[in-house]
Amino acid sequence: MASDDAEREATGDGIGEASAAVGDEASEQAERDRVAWQLGKSHRKVDAMERMRGVTRYTDDLKLPGMLHAKILRSPHAHARIKSIDSSAALAMPGVFAVVTGQDFKIPYGIIPWTPDENALAVDKVCHVGDGLAALAAVDEDTANAALRAIKVEYDVLKPYFDPEEALKVRDREGTINPYSRKGNVSKHVLLEFGDIEAELARADLVIEGEYFFEGTTHGAIEPHCALAHVDGGGVLTVWSATQVSHYLHRELAKVLELPAHKIRVIQPPLGGAFGGKSEPFDLEFVVAKLAMKTGRPVKLLYTREEVFYAHRGRHPMKMRHRTGFTRDGGLLGVDARTILDGGAYSSFGLVTTYYSGQLMCSPYIFPAYRFDSTRAYTNKPACGPKRGHGSVQPRFAMEIQLDKASVALGLDPIELRRRNAIKAGEKTVNEFQVGSSGFLECLEKVERSSGWVAKRRELPYGRGIGIAGSTYISGTNYPIYPNEMPQAAVQICLDRSGRARVFSGANDIGQGSNTMLAVIVSEELGIPLEDIRVLSADTDLCPVDLGAYSSRITLMVGNACLDAAQRLRRKVCESVAKRWGVSRKRVTLAGRMAIDREDPARHVDSAQAFQWAEADHGLLGETGSYNTPKDRHGEYRGGTIGASPAYSFTAHVAEVEVDAETGLVEVKTIWIAHDCGKALSRKIVEGQIEGSTYMGFGEALMERHAVDPAHRGVHVGPSFLDYRMPTFLDTPDLEAMIVEAPDANGPYGAKEAGEGPLHSSIPAIANAIYDAVGIRLDRLPFSPQTVLAALRQREERERAGQLAPHKPADRESRRSA
Amino acid sequence: MLRLPQFEVVAPESVADVVTALQRPGARVIAGGTDILPNLKHHLGTPQHPAELPPVLVSLSRVTALRGVALDEAAGVLRIGAGVTLSQLSEHPEVQRRFPSLSQSAGAVASPPIRNMGTIGGNVNLDTRCRYVNQTHFWREALGGGCLKSEGNVCHVVPGGRNCVAAMSSDNVPVLISLDATIVQAGPEGVRELPIEEFYKADGLAHTNAKPGEVTTELRVPLPKGPRRSHYIKWSVRKSIDFPLVSVALRFDLGEDEATVAAVKVVVGVLGSKPRTLSKLDDVVGKKFGDPAVARMVSDAAYAQCKPLENVPYEAAYRRDMIRVYTRRAIEALAASAE
Amino acid sequence: MSPAAIMLSMTVNGEPVQVAAPPHWTLLEVLRYRLDLIGSKQGCDKGDCGACTVQIDGVPQLACLTLAIHAEGRAVTTVEGLGLLAGGVHPLQDAFDRHTAAQCGFCTPGILLSAEALLRKRGREVSRAEVCEALAGNLCRCTGYTKIIDAVVDASRVMAGANTQEAGRGE
Repeated sequence: MASDDAEREATGDGIGEASAAVGDEASEQAERDRVAWQLGKSHRKVDAMERMRGVTRYTDDLKLPGMLHAKILRSPHAHARIKSIDSSAALAMPGVFAVVTGQDFKIPYGIIPWTPDENALAVDKVCHVGDGLAALAAVDEDTANAALRAIKVEYDVLKPYFDPEEALKVRDREGTINPYSRKGNVSKHVLLEFGDIEAELARADLVIEGEYFFEGTTHGAIEPHCALAHVDGGGVLTVWSATQVSHYLHRELAKVLELPAHKIRVIQPPLGGAFGGKSEPFDLEFVVAKLAMKTGRPVKLLYTREEVFYAHRGRHPMKMRHRTGFTRDGGLLGVDARTILDGGAYSSFGLVTTYYSGQLMCSPYIFPAYRFDSTRAYTNKPACGPKRGHGSVQPRFAMEIQLDKASVALGLDPIELRRRNAIKAGEKTVNEFQVGSSGFLECLEKVERSSGWVAKRRELPYGRGIGIAGSTYISGTNYPIYPNEMPQAAVQICLDRSGRARVFSGANDIGQGSNTMLAVIVSEELGIPLEDIRVLSADTDLCPVDLGAYSSRITLMVGNACLDAAQRLRRKVCESVAKRWGVSRKRVTLAGRMAIDREDPARHVDSAQAFQWAEADHGLLGETGSYNTPKDRHGEYRGGTIGASPAYSFTAHVAEVEVDAETGLVEVKTIWIAHDCGKALSRKIVEGQIEGSTYMGFGEALMERHAVDPAHRGVHVGPSFLDYRMPTFLDTPDLEAMIVEAPDANGPYGAKEAGEGPLHSSIPAIANAIYDAVGIRLDRLPFSPQTVLAALRQREERERAGQLAPHKPADRESRRSA
Repeated sequence: MLRLPQFEVVAPESVADVVTALQRPGARVIAGGTDILPNLKHHLGTPQHPAELPPVLVSLSRVTALRGVALDEAAGVLRIGAGVTLSQLSEHPEVQRRFPSLSQSAGAVASPPIRNMGTIGGNVNLDTRCRYVNQTHFWREALGGGCLKSEGNVCHVVPGGRNCVAAMSSDNVPVLISLDATIVQAGPEGVRELPIEEFYKADGLAHTNAKPGEVTTELRVPLPKGPRRSHYIKWSVRKSIDFPLVSVALRFDLGEDEATVAAVKVVVGVLGSKPRTLSKLDDVVGKKFGDPAVARMVSDAAYAQCKPLENVPYEAAYRRDMIRVYTRRAIEALAASAE
Repeated sequence: MSPAAIMLSMTVNGEPVQVAAPPHWTLLEVLRYRLDLIGSKQGCDKGDCGACTVQIDGVPQLACLTLAIHAEGRAVTTVEGLGLLAGGVHPLQDAFDRHTAAQCGFCTPGILLSAEALLRKRGREVSRAEVCEALAGNLCRCTGYTKIIDAVVDASRVMAGANTQEAGRGE
């Protein structure tokens, strides 16, 4: 890995030396073409060492004088009306300071402004096991727990609905799960059609029909949700929360607590992982805020691991029916998708999820006709929401298996089939999204070559297989969650006389390294090393608004805003140095903690001196930068903005598996991943995102399952890290991450997302490899050994009945004779 | 965080003092704590120690006498102190050399840090487990008020069942039974040694024959008298941080020719509350160990005699099939490695 | 209200410490909430994730399943102590930093303590398989483990090199 970096340094990133052209425009060009001194290298993260030394304070590591501890009473019923809550005995207990119930939070909220359908605590009814309905603050957790047991609740138990299709049939008020729903248990329905799908399927040489089920999964961040609230003497409420969307939390707190926004400060302390699981407000934040307001004391609440499972907002279970049409040479003609999303009790991001389940399927392949019909149902389960690869991981699973089935039917190499249909840079998708850059073909080529695909397709014996899948993802969405014309991202940078830079950003670093990404950009532009840059982020009092860490938006959007501010400062600094040297600005460059004369590199001053000259010329050196998205890259139809992004990333996965035909165990040996992130600003961070995403997909493919037990009153099947099995060191395959760079005009230095895209195709790649290994199609997740075994037995029966030819017969024959 | 209930802890320094301390109402033994503390966090009691009563934990942490592994050639046994950790047991050279299956089972428990904490005495006293039991008190309330083994009076595994069938999930117990180990119990009536096979009974609520106030002090494993092949089979969904779903201990004693099966003992765990020692294996004796029939006969017997229940995750029918597959394969592998 | 606290004596990161805690408190609670050693994390409540891994007498154990009373008289090392042992930054921490092996960093303290015990026990360069075996009780949700394995192997190489040099000097 070190040698890799050295090689990149030596080749200087392949960008040409400064151009000889003159004039201001040419100078700008020279600026852009200069040799990158930080971009694309690997960096020590700006905040990792203190995390690793146990110095960094995460939310639960904060402690304030007089702090109380809060706990939430949760419903043991999946569906019930609350008849009464009597908390008098609890309140009378020594050490108990205050109790709140749904009556304290009657204003509903929701992360999507169109669907405010939940309350901080249930007002009239509870909608899933674990739904919160009362909370209290006490001197310590033991006292709080004892007091919770003293709260008496009378319920009217209602019939629960765990099956989305059954829930959708309900028409009466009694069976309507969500208290704010006006359409029974239909949370959202989207039907969109592009081109003439029936005509395309009719003219297709081959139509593949398939039914798929994607089981629910959850984020599993190791840090449980935690929040702390404090009201200061001036009446300002500060909420520290392990959130990935401090701005939206800020807005919803103001709404529900009926406080002006400027009386609230939200701080996101360093975060212990999120993956979408902390991307909206949760009951605990409202509860600690209200209890702090009531008691005048700081109040903290840390979820138990079980509560994290109830808070959920994880991957929606989806039932998908796909019809996909092809020409005989593998040309993709159209996709007709019907999808039922099991949404759980509340909307969460569900409106967007419902769109995403269709809208994000129109790339990386181009085809002339598409229809999707997606319905999200309310059910009596913890609410589903956005998990890494929001809304599109499930249909991607279906889509990529459909392609694999077609390649078998047509006798085409599945990589070749994907190549033939790959969308190209500058093309428009069938649903009218403008694609900018695309490195998809290079992704395919990279995984094909590194995995030894061609030889393995021929040579792997029965039981061993190799599979491919491709995918695409957004780098943020062109339209924010609440309509407004302000920038989507903004960054403020100050330089000081010591040669340091301070970066203020509202963006949430959730472990993905966004603070480091900002430091890399500032470093690149201002010529100072990362350790001279302090990034202050996600504090609504100190930082400009940012919308948060979701939809893979930060590198592109916040990166652009940061680049904007940094370049303004760079110009000022270069100008001041040039003035003193009596040369033109374009001759000055900043790198290596110095300002350097490009034409006479022996002439240089250190950065502190350069900053001082600039401060003398301009006054205090501070600049803001903003970024707003292009608004001309989506479709002109209702919903046509949802899923439209300034730039799309591309991924290809090849998985190699071994299937034990006697036990049904699938062992994934290696996954090769090539991901087009436009431009890797910091290589190892990008690789880490690729590896982490692929790992997460692998876990979903083989062992993870977030579900409730309908036969047992809707209890969660295992709300713990023992029962919810995430792969350990010993389970995880070798992950070979490869970076592809197709720079996008909309990204900072061409950069696009890397945090979510590389999850998608890992799952169908494994499924397709299993098919290659033993000839079975696994259309349901997870691929547990009994599922695999059952499918194998089914295949054997069909082989015996002469309905199917044996899979890899030559190999099995030779082994039998051996 | 999930809280422990309030309790008192006493930490005597001798076995005698432990036995005295165990006379106190509500007294429960704690060694490594990796079983009892999650159970206490889950508000789980035992018939003798209902969860409602605050326990007095009698800690073995200061009883240094329980911590040794000693080879007693004269008595023909390996003595393993109850306080020996699973890591120490697994890595002990004599255990690795003489009792590979025991080294394997101790090394297969849960995860490395848990093996560094958990003791063999604790592991043989591991409470039975069930998917409907080992959850929080809140979860069991949502289930409808627990079950036979917790707050309720129904069984969710065997509808209408009146006997608790929670699973004996120790990795080491089937192995110790297969090795004809004995267990030493110290109690108010003195010290007794009994075959560990007789220590267990088919009752998920009280699955051992420990007498009130007794503590396990030692395990004694008879040294092999001749050539032996032994192996522990564990299948779990994850390769770490998991309880077994298939758990089989194999022991084949061979004749002096190192080829003919002289004795065989196979014990299967994670069925009901008691491990099952396979019967009707007499036909295997006298056969060559490398004879494919041996693997087939033993694995078929395992399948015929073992009926897993839905007390742990994953279909019982699948697990039953896998008992046969894994048993056959393990015997084949043992035979192959012996050649 | 909690029952009467008990005074405990232990060595924490090389320093003798006296601390009062109720008998039902775990070592993790004492470290985090009494001694303000917040480097040890709480992830799963009950021994399923390894984020609270500390060393007791040099052996990795789970602080969330260790009664504080059981640390009486023993030497506890937390991640705060790991750097101190090496005069600031431990070679493992340095390697993790170079390899970007910590993303959110929440599992990292526990992983570092498991890894340190492995490297000390082996005293040589370790294999990737050895790392996976030794760290199998520590879950990480961010990295897919790859960079962690890279970092531990790298650190073992660095430390083995340093040992060799020291041995060389001794001759």
